[in-house]
Amino acid sequence: MVGHVARCVGQLAVALLGIVTVAFFLMRAIPGDPALYMLGDFATTEALAALRARLGLDLPVWQQYGVFLLRAVQGDLGTSVVTGEPALREILASVPPSAALAVAGMAIAVVFGVPLGIIAAVRQGSAVDVGVMLLALGGISFPVFWVGIVAILTFSHALGLFPALGATSEPGFWKGLHHLALPALVLGLSVAAYIARLTRSAMLEVLGQDHIRVARAMGVPERRIVWKLALRNALIPVLAVIGVTFAWSLGNAILVEAVFSRPGLGSTILKAILARDYQLVQAGVLVLAAAVVLLNTALDLLYATIDPRLRQR
Amino acid sequence: MSATFEDIDAAAEAATRRRATLRRYARHPGFMIGAAGILLLLLVAILAPWIAPHSPTQTDLMNTLAPASSTYWLGTDQFGRCVASRLIHGAQVSLLVGFFVVLISLSAGTIIGAVAGYAGGWLERALVAVIDILLAFPSFLLALALVAARGNTLDSIILAVAIAYTPRVAAVMRSVVLTIRPRPFIEASRAIGLTPWTIVLRHVIPNALPPVIVVATVSAATAILAEAGLSFLGLGVQPPTPTWGNVIAEGQTAITTNPLISLSAGLCIAFTVVVLNLLGDGLRDTLDPQMRRNTGKLL
Repeated sequence: MVGHVARCVGQLAVALLGIVTVAFFLMRAIPGDPALYMLGDFATTEALAALRARLGLDLPVWQQYGVFLLRAVQGDLGTSVVTGEPALREILASVPPSAALAVAGMAIAVVFGVPLGIIAAVRQGSAVDVGVMLLALGGISFPVFWVGIVAILTFSHALGLFPALGATSEPGFWKGLHHLALPALVLGLSVAAYIARLTRSAMLEVLGQDHIRVARAMGVPERRIVWKLALRNALIPVLAVIGVTFAWSLGNAILVEAVFSRPGLGSTILKAILARDYQLVQAGVLVLAAAVVLLNTALDLLYATIDPRLRQR
Repeated sequence: MSATFEDIDAAAEAATRRRATLRRYARHPGFMIGAAGILLLLLVAILAPWIAPHSPTQTDLMNTLAPASSTYWLGTDQFGRCVASRLIHGAQVSLLVGFFVVLISLSAGTIIGAVAGYAGGWLERALVAVIDILLAFPSFLLALALVAARGNTLDSIILAVAIAYTPRVAAVMRSVVLTIRPRPFIEASRAIGLTPWTIVLRHVIPNALPPVIVVATVSAATAILAEAGLSFLGLGVQPPTPTWGNVIAEGQTAITTNPLISLSAGLCIAFTVVVLNLLGDGLRDTLDPQMRRNTGKLL
């Protein structure tokens, strides 16, 4: 087990180095001069040169990369070109509302998606299966921002159940939850559709295996076969599904935040893109990719506790 | 050279097999609905200038936010432009994005995945590491950052979305190639002295294509959703050129007075994505029945 943990941590380090490298070179591909953006069109050449030197933009790219990597290890991802604040601090400040949305959304997605996928697989070919799969097809086909608009029209304007804005400045847990509910539901249901489809196929694969056939032949009750034997074996693929959909749901979360005018990572990155605040975009992309990598490492460790065979490899 | 009996037999057998394959496609309702839907969309996109009742950019300032009527089938937007005409023309952008994203990510992903899967050793490890790193970036975010980097012209949007989705195709291709590599016909090709490139191009890729084609069809759907998302955020193809995404975004400002604008544009996107998914599911079932259960995990 110790070896497995060490291997996972090692892979995590390599993956983090990889995303830092990719993010660095990706953002360098952006045309335009950040110094010019920061100081405006009327800046003097001396002021521009001084700022470029301060941001390290006058160095060769490889040297810039070295400096960037060294600083990144120390938790310094540069300074926002627009506000002059440390980019990482600004990004981390917008993490809580996004994390709340992502966690609430994923919780809704898992609560709806996994059981629906299992039921559809167990009743393969029945009306229930067809119904669930049609719903899921609809869920992955309607753009999430459009579903958000329809939800606002229905639940805010017509029924008045939830506020149209996805956030509030008023204090109070319940107030915040009331504003979070609709965006989380929209995000959650779009991801639930995806999870249901994938859970169904994972479960079908397990249900077709020999040990299930043997259990059936021996007269083990169907309920026990599904919930004890099959589900336990389908757990790893289902967890993997949750890992895969997490990265995907972060993309959807950006759109959901935009529809509900909710502050968060998505809106911070979007504003940074429009302002060409490349240090901030870079920090945001890095933090999101790091979140995906961290979650996948956590899942890898979880697999090993579920399936002892994985620990020995 | 005259045809031998074996040749004639082989030709007859091939023809029978082809007929059986066609029957299998025709019997799959999802595939038929998907194929018909795509055909319909293609016709709409190609014939847009002739079937659209108005020009998509022509404004009628006396008739802004007009309700649906016989002149304006789906009403007008805040500039008095015909919504139906904008949606009909919008099909062009969506289908172009879907087509070219698939073309680029399929070609690049197939080659990268096939090389990684077939080469093995350090080349495979290096390529897998790069693919894994790229997969850690949420595709939509990656596309967003790339569009920000390259500007929001149609070709840079296509390239950005294609780059974001290529690692996915490459990952699927590699996993399929890994199952093909140990098969006898590959060993035989090596034994008769074919070069690795010839083996990959002539024998590995053609045999690995079916699952990749399925992934590509579904990628077209996700690419269309991604383009709509970028347009919605104002980072896609800019108005007045109509795209379904920017029609939704522009309609959002008039959502309470004329909800038909955003609603109808969303239905267009959903219809396209549904038919592409049906086509993908149909292809998966007919190309390789064994994959029916497994490909779900790959997507």
